[in-house]
Amino acid sequence: MPKLLAAVLLTLAATAPVRVVDLENRAVDPFQITAGAKAAVFLFTATDCPISNRYAPEIQRLHQAYGNQGVRFFLVYPNPADTPELIREHAKAFGYPADALLRDPKQALAKAAKVTIAPEAAVFVQGRLVYHGRIDDRFVDFGLDRPEPTVRDLDEAIAAVVAGKPVPHPVTQAVGCYIADYAR
Amino acid sequence: MWFVAFANLVNFQNSPNLQNRENLENRQNRENRENRANPTYSHDIAPLIADRCIVCHHEEGSAPFSLETYATVKRHASQIVQVTRKRVMPPWKADPADGPFVGQHPLSDEEISRIAAWVEAGTPEGTAEPPARSSSTHADRWAPGWQLGKPDLVVTLPEPYALQASGTDVFRIFVLPLPVDRTRYVRGLEFHPGNVKVVHHANIRIDHTPASRALDSADPGPGYSGLILRSADYPEGHFLGWTPGQVPPLLPKEMTWRLDPGTDLVVEVHMQPSGKTESVQPTIGLYFSDTPPTKTPAMLRLGRQNIDIPAGESHYVVTDSYVLPVDAEIEAVQPHAHYRARDVRGDATLPDGTTRELIHIGDWDFRWQHVFRFEHPFWLPKGTRLSMRYVYDNSVTNVRNPEHPPVRARWGQRSSDEMGDLWIQVLTRTEPDLVTLTREFRAKVAAEDVHGYESEIARDPNDAALHDDAALLYLELQQPNEAVEHFRKSMAIKGASAAGHYNVATALALAHRLDESAKEYEAAIAIDRSYAKAHNNLGNVRLAQGRTVDAIAEFAVVAKLEPRSADPLENLAQAYAIAGDFDRAADTIDRALRLSPPEPLASELARRRELYRQRKRP
Repeated sequence: MPKLLAAVLLTLAATAPVRVVDLENRAVDPFQITAGAKAAVFLFTATDCPISNRYAPEIQRLHQAYGNQGVRFFLVYPNPADTPELIREHAKAFGYPADALLRDPKQALAKAAKVTIAPEAAVFVQGRLVYHGRIDDRFVDFGLDRPEPTVRDLDEAIAAVVAGKPVPHPVTQAVGCYIADYAR
Repeated sequence: MWFVAFANLVNFQNSPNLQNRENLENRQNRENRENRANPTYSHDIAPLIADRCIVCHHEEGSAPFSLETYATVKRHASQIVQVTRKRVMPPWKADPADGPFVGQHPLSDEEISRIAAWVEAGTPEGTAEPPARSSSTHADRWAPGWQLGKPDLVVTLPEPYALQASGTDVFRIFVLPLPVDRTRYVRGLEFHPGNVKVVHHANIRIDHTPASRALDSADPGPGYSGLILRSADYPEGHFLGWTPGQVPPLLPKEMTWRLDPGTDLVVEVHMQPSGKTESVQPTIGLYFSDTPPTKTPAMLRLGRQNIDIPAGESHYVVTDSYVLPVDAEIEAVQPHAHYRARDVRGDATLPDGTTRELIHIGDWDFRWQHVFRFEHPFWLPKGTRLSMRYVYDNSVTNVRNPEHPPVRARWGQRSSDEMGDLWIQVLTRTEPDLVTLTREFRAKVAAEDVHGYESEIARDPNDAALHDDAALLYLELQQPNEAVEHFRKSMAIKGASAAGHYNVATALALAHRLDESAKEYEAAIAIDRSYAKAHNNLGNVRLAQGRTVDAIAEFAVVAKLEPRSADPLENLAQAYAIAGDFDRAADTIDRALRLSPPEPLASELARRRELYRQRKRP
């Protein structure tokens, strides 16, 4: 029974109205703008979080690999101190597309996606949360990381969705900056 | 459990650091009593952060973000709790009971729980009054510009290096010529990374030869990728290098190191990609003195170069030790190992059996390679055993293992190989003691270096420079037969040359293989008939063979090739005397003296002429 209950809660969380803002400060429904996509991938990041920034090449790689297979990618900035100007500069420096940037200053999407860390990813299929957690297992803890990841969890999750299969590990633990601190 | 507790207690009481620990405990008890129930940022947290964190965590500092204001500290509050609790920050890897070391400022347990309590309470800011500045000097060490004052010489990498956006650690060696027009004496060196966000640390050496410069110019782009050469070394027993938050202090005037014109600074920079392409352009400031040093330290190096760790081995132990032949004052230590080392330890066992821990790092991290300078250097008597014990984990459980799945790891300078060294900087009581220590230690190090060269050669058997260096080491170790083999291999790779045959011949002569040696000198001379050194050494071989007439012929050639030098005539005269022709021997000395040789050679020649006239051999 507890399993079933968890599934119900997930659905509720995802269907509750969630609003983020774009860089023009317009309210946006993140699920509406990704409605036709096979999957929506939200990558939570912060301009001054070094672990998040070190994932830029991997995020670009995933975008290239799945962007033309019906998967939509958005960078989400949950820190209210990350202003539109800072975000534009940041995206330019790290090679993120300018039309895929969202602000989440009240951490509404972060809560809906059960995301607590930057960098952390959330994958939705038709508004249903199918994966949230780390991009890969490269960072094990602060001050402890692998030279190369041994498991690319986000890649596996997206590949499963694209192939119409269940995600092998729907929840993993990310390492990085705490989104809770941005709400203080 | 009882047993463990008891064992710890015994160690504790024998520890020379007992006093420090007591001070630490007293301080902590006092702090615990003073610990307030309602910690606030302005009263409890800001002074702590100013003292321990801001040295790196300020705008333009080496840390990834600033912690200078309430807003910035609050934004990283949970992370600060995590990293302080795990003692990842402040980054100080040594056992807190070691030292005390210069610049050491670990957090006490009370301070760590104070931070946690503040975050738990909702990060209250407290009164707006300016936070009390700490009495410590740490907070003042991050003034912008040069920490050690205006340098006497500033050198900057002429062209920035472009660091790639992705991947793991990158190592690049930059070679910076030092434009000095006369001999200077260096008191210190301040390294500015040029891009604090990606430069993690720097190893610095000096090279008196053009060898590093040549590698740099052969590699496109600034610097080169590869190994620090044997010719690039620490200067006269001094550590050089940089880690974030550490500025090595200026040396006392009596302990400077000599810098001659034509010397290059060799700077190996360890970088971590940031996610975007970064430009790296280090600058180094040097501080000079005009007086030569009166005290020169010695640099001891314990360690093994026969490291060979099987794939999957989770507990591989490397040990080494050295017994001091003279009294020595321990100034500083620096452990060095790569990603597979886990536990790193250095000890001193005195002749009376007591032990002093020099350094212990229970969670070795290749990325934090401090030089640990003792705040109070201490004397160890002659007969003290310095020892090291490093434990390596080459299994999958070691997250930092550079190979996945693990592979066999052997000694090598590349970060994917392994190393295990403990550098120890010491001072001796007298100059003769320094000579004794340096001489004895050199033999030990050469023996170890041979292992390293043999393992590098095993991997790269066609590198002639490696064979030449190995041969020279074997000659130093008085193993000329091994030197012969390496010189022969070097020549086989590079092709026959007069110098190649000469090297083989000289090693053969030192091995008393006279017939083979003579053939090699003849081969050298066949390529270069005016090779004076080869003629001279062949003459000496002929003398040793008892072929005096042939020896005279060779020395006569040398005298013709170097008509203005007295030395060949001295050898020629000696050969005549051995042949019993004392008149010609005396005449030849006369010829040498007419060349007005310098002292003490002139007096020695006059003495010999007198002996030859009396038909005696010197």
